[in-house]
Amino acid sequence: MTLAIKVKGLSKSFAVKHKKTGFLESLKSLFNPTFSEVTAVHPIDFQVEQGEIVAFLGPNGAGKSTTIKMLTGILHPTQGSAEVLGFNPWQERAKLAFHIGSVFGQKSQLWYHLPPIDTFELMSRIFELPRADYLKRRDELIERFELGALMNIPVRKLSLGQRMRCEMAAALLHRPQIVFLDEPTIGLDVVVKHKIRDLIKEMNKEEGTTLFITSHDAGDIEQLCKRAIVINHGQIILDDTVSNMKRQFLKHKTIHLKLQEVPGQFNVPGVKLVKQKGAGIRLSVDTSQISIENVLSYIVQNYQLVDVTIEDPSMEEIITHIYEQRREEVD
Amino acid sequence: MNTLSAKSLFSGKAVKYLSVGYITVRNNFVYLRSFFIRSWFLLVILFIFVQLWRVTYQGEGNEVIEGYTYEQMIWYLIFAEAIILSSPRLPVKIEEEVKKGDVGYQLTRPMSYLLYHYFSYLGEAYVRLIVNIILGSALGLVLFGWPRLGLGLFGFLIVSIGSFTVNYLMTMMLSLTSFWVEETRGLVFVYQKMLFIIGGLMLPLEIFPGYLQAISEWLPFQTVAYFAAKAGVHFEWMMIAKMLLIQLLWIAILSFLLRVVYQKGVRKLNVNGG
Repeated sequence: MTLAIKVKGLSKSFAVKHKKTGFLESLKSLFNPTFSEVTAVHPIDFQVEQGEIVAFLGPNGAGKSTTIKMLTGILHPTQGSAEVLGFNPWQERAKLAFHIGSVFGQKSQLWYHLPPIDTFELMSRIFELPRADYLKRRDELIERFELGALMNIPVRKLSLGQRMRCEMAAALLHRPQIVFLDEPTIGLDVVVKHKIRDLIKEMNKEEGTTLFITSHDAGDIEQLCKRAIVINHGQIILDDTVSNMKRQFLKHKTIHLKLQEVPGQFNVPGVKLVKQKGAGIRLSVDTSQISIENVLSYIVQNYQLVDVTIEDPSMEEIITHIYEQRREEVD
Repeated sequence: MNTLSAKSLFSGKAVKYLSVGYITVRNNFVYLRSFFIRSWFLLVILFIFVQLWRVTYQGEGNEVIEGYTYEQMIWYLIFAEAIILSSPRLPVKIEEEVKKGDVGYQLTRPMSYLLYHYFSYLGEAYVRLIVNIILGSALGLVLFGWPRLGLGLFGFLIVSIGSFTVNYLMTMMLSLTSFWVEETRGLVFVYQKMLFIIGGLMLPLEIFPGYLQAISEWLPFQTVAYFAAKAGVHFEWMMIAKMLLIQLLWIAILSFLLRVVYQKGVRKLNVNGG
């Protein structure tokens, strides 16, 4: 397997100007500013193989986007080296740009008042695609993303889900080898989320595209990624397969129950009563001790059920958990 | 770095940026109706000037003031206002892009940020210019009948390219100061007032006292509204050639400066939204 991304000892620190309170102090700092160094990313190492789908996770301000900016060549690192598709990103940014794509869930690259076809056309020019190649690729993507009916409707009239499909297709026109996806499913309804995830998976399978995904959606990570890199305070605190991560951290599920009548004691090993309010109860299930299936059948056998929901801990909870664990180790 | 260099302008990559201009034109056609509505303001300003100048010409008792007849003076104002009112509001857009960190994402495309915005600026400017010229000319026609400007409109259009380019370079430079300061509007406000006064929007520069004229000649402000409007009312090949030359000179100087500012700014990019 060839490497898509190779990062070694990459770090970034910024000089931040001190702002002191008080008029005299701010006057002083105008002529004699004091700076302190803030490390956004500590030396990090990781590698991504071509064709991998990697989740890049961490809370806000963890150093995610600084890292991505270094990998796309927007930022120069303070130290260390990186190779993306064999290019040095910050020295060969323009060359690299032809081979990478990006989809940002919260930013649109489509022209708002124009139909998507116009943005596609513009992209073909920006990426200097030969005409015939472009047309072939465009039609292929239109078919795969089912955009036929949408291509000539102004973007402002599309639903968020339809727009996202167009965004993705637009980002893929130049056949990027690596795609950076930032919150690709944010704000989408469940059905559309699935659709987008299926498309992402398909793209990875059929074209061998390497995907680097940042998301706060546990579903994105579970369903798409085989591997997760978790970063916090500028350090990689976990780099493991998602299944390992789940085994370790998604051991708990929460069950919300609404029963016909107020229940008695719950005496099932691995199940903990978290909260009870009349006939409504919340249980925490340790799935390493008992399967959800067994818990549910126990409930169905012993109680009259009105409503039930099962929840995973949120990705944020998992990350917090991971981080806290690591900190304990350090301490 | 492929910034505003002649090489990238005239190489095969030109198609890339022309497409940017083309898509902006198409996008702005959507706003055509709102442009028309906004352009009524042009008529209001012009109406006031028409009254002022009528009184002035009557009071002076002269047919010609500093080389302009009454009719030429009004056409001068129509052209000058059209250029200024057609210039897109770049600072708002750039400030937002810098603050939200979108500048960075634009850089992940094989494209120069400054050229991208330049062509998008031109695209918008010319859609607005068409609207403003139509409305302004309607007023001119009502007041004076068919204009006796010779090749004026042609001269105006040729010089307008340089006008918008200089205006873009200056405005972009001021907008990019948002990398360092929180608020760029103050600077932009001062710049616009400079364009109004020593840039010849309110009055042709000939009307100014000698020393002010001399100062204006050494500044880039005159190349925006004054040059284009004068080319519109006093068409002369030699004069147009001279104007284009001066514009080119300023474009060279300003693109160099803009590039320096931009490169320094991009290095600061990290702070916003890192």
